[in-house]
Amino acid sequence: MKIRAEWFGGIVSLERPRALVSVNRAMMRLLGLADSPRWKGADPERLTAPTEVHVVVSKRCSAGCKSCYVDATPQGNALSLEQAKAALDRLAAHGVFHVALGGGEATDLDYLFEIAAYARQIGILPNLTTAGLNMTCAMAERCKVFGQINVSIDGVGARYADARGFDGFRLAERALRQLREVKKEVGINCVVSRTTYDHLDEVVGLARKLRLNEVELLRFKPAGRGAKTFEEEDLTPEQGRGMFPLAKKLMFKHRMRIKLDCSFAPMVFWHRPNPAVARFFGVVGCEGGNLLASVMPDGNLVGCSFGGPNEASIFDAEGTARAFDRGFEAFRGYVDRAPEPCKSCEYLKLCKGGCRIVSQARGDWWQPDPGCPRVQAHRAGAAKLPVIQS
Amino acid sequence: MSETAEDESRPRVLGVRFGANPNSSSLGVDVSFLLFGGTAALAAGLFLSSWLRARRKPAELVGQADAKSAP
Repeated sequence: MKIRAEWFGGIVSLERPRALVSVNRAMMRLLGLADSPRWKGADPERLTAPTEVHVVVSKRCSAGCKSCYVDATPQGNALSLEQAKAALDRLAAHGVFHVALGGGEATDLDYLFEIAAYARQIGILPNLTTAGLNMTCAMAERCKVFGQINVSIDGVGARYADARGFDGFRLAERALRQLREVKKEVGINCVVSRTTYDHLDEVVGLARKLRLNEVELLRFKPAGRGAKTFEEEDLTPEQGRGMFPLAKKLMFKHRMRIKLDCSFAPMVFWHRPNPAVARFFGVVGCEGGNLLASVMPDGNLVGCSFGGPNEASIFDAEGTARAFDRGFEAFRGYVDRAPEPCKSCEYLKLCKGGCRIVSQARGDWWQPDPGCPRVQAHRAGAAKLPVIQS
Repeated sequence: MSETAEDESRPRVLGVRFGANPNSSSLGVDVSFLLFGGTAALAAGLFLSSWLRARRKPAELVGQADAKSAP
């Protein structure tokens, strides 16, 4: 059991059940920990470091997906094994609990499993996203080193090719079967776009058939090659409003754990869930630079792998510490600067204005996410905004 | 996650995120927990609190790096 002290008490990382648990100071003392210097002073309203970091180990991939977020190519650059280990050492020093290894296609790196094993060795849980196209039984066996592994599948059968631009469904499905043979923490990542929205039932049905543990629905983002097709693939306002009810329906129908990514937060909060419950279960919007950060293949430390300024090199100890301590203003600063209708929204501190990357693609990083139903109603001049209770 | 002085004297679970995220952007909404509202939060809080109290292994404190001591 690993614990990191925070102003409010601390964060406990559990292996079973797999969870990151925030506890108060009294619980920290009960667990045998001495009072922390971090408990002094006023609430900094930020963590000392992310709890998890997305490590983009490479921008190398030969699949050529038409909407690849990192614009991966067969010649894309990658962290070397030594660099990856150095980055992990830095993250471990700051008490990062989990890393998400991705790319590009991370499994194309012949030293990926050495990176994962090293993460385990220094107390970080490595997780993996893969297209699964080159999975073999032997590779699946080696994948036991990971925690959660999700295979990217944006559609079943021919719809896979519609979404990705090539027919890789059979290989991806085979990878899921091979992985599920050796471990339980296997799921599907599915990018939700205007064209895949109506076919999510098939994807969740596949997950159930293969006895997977979750489906993560990820909003289509204007990053990498996705920027070129964003206008055609961004959800319609009706789809945006329907996303949360659809996720609930799929969960009940298939009895499958459904997760929506951070950029869907405005579409969820539009339905006014209990804020205290949302806070308790970590249902939040953009946490770039706070709960989450990313390390890119050149070592740059950024708040989100889809965009935002470079804060430091992960290989620079002082720069990294400074970034975690008082950097990432482009992400963390939104709540204080939020214009209407975010400013008067009771969910602002949870939602944080939606996805900065989408806002930037639509013209202004500091404007509210234009995919938010509340923002759309505000801009349409509709007066029927939810009543705000302070 | 601010607490009153009274709350602070009682060992409590303030929040939880179950599972592990393999994605760049998966810090989001686990729909299942939202559906059951406050009951789910109360049950999870009580369960985890009991679980933590029952643990016998000493906890390992991590993440003590700051600008001066980071490697």
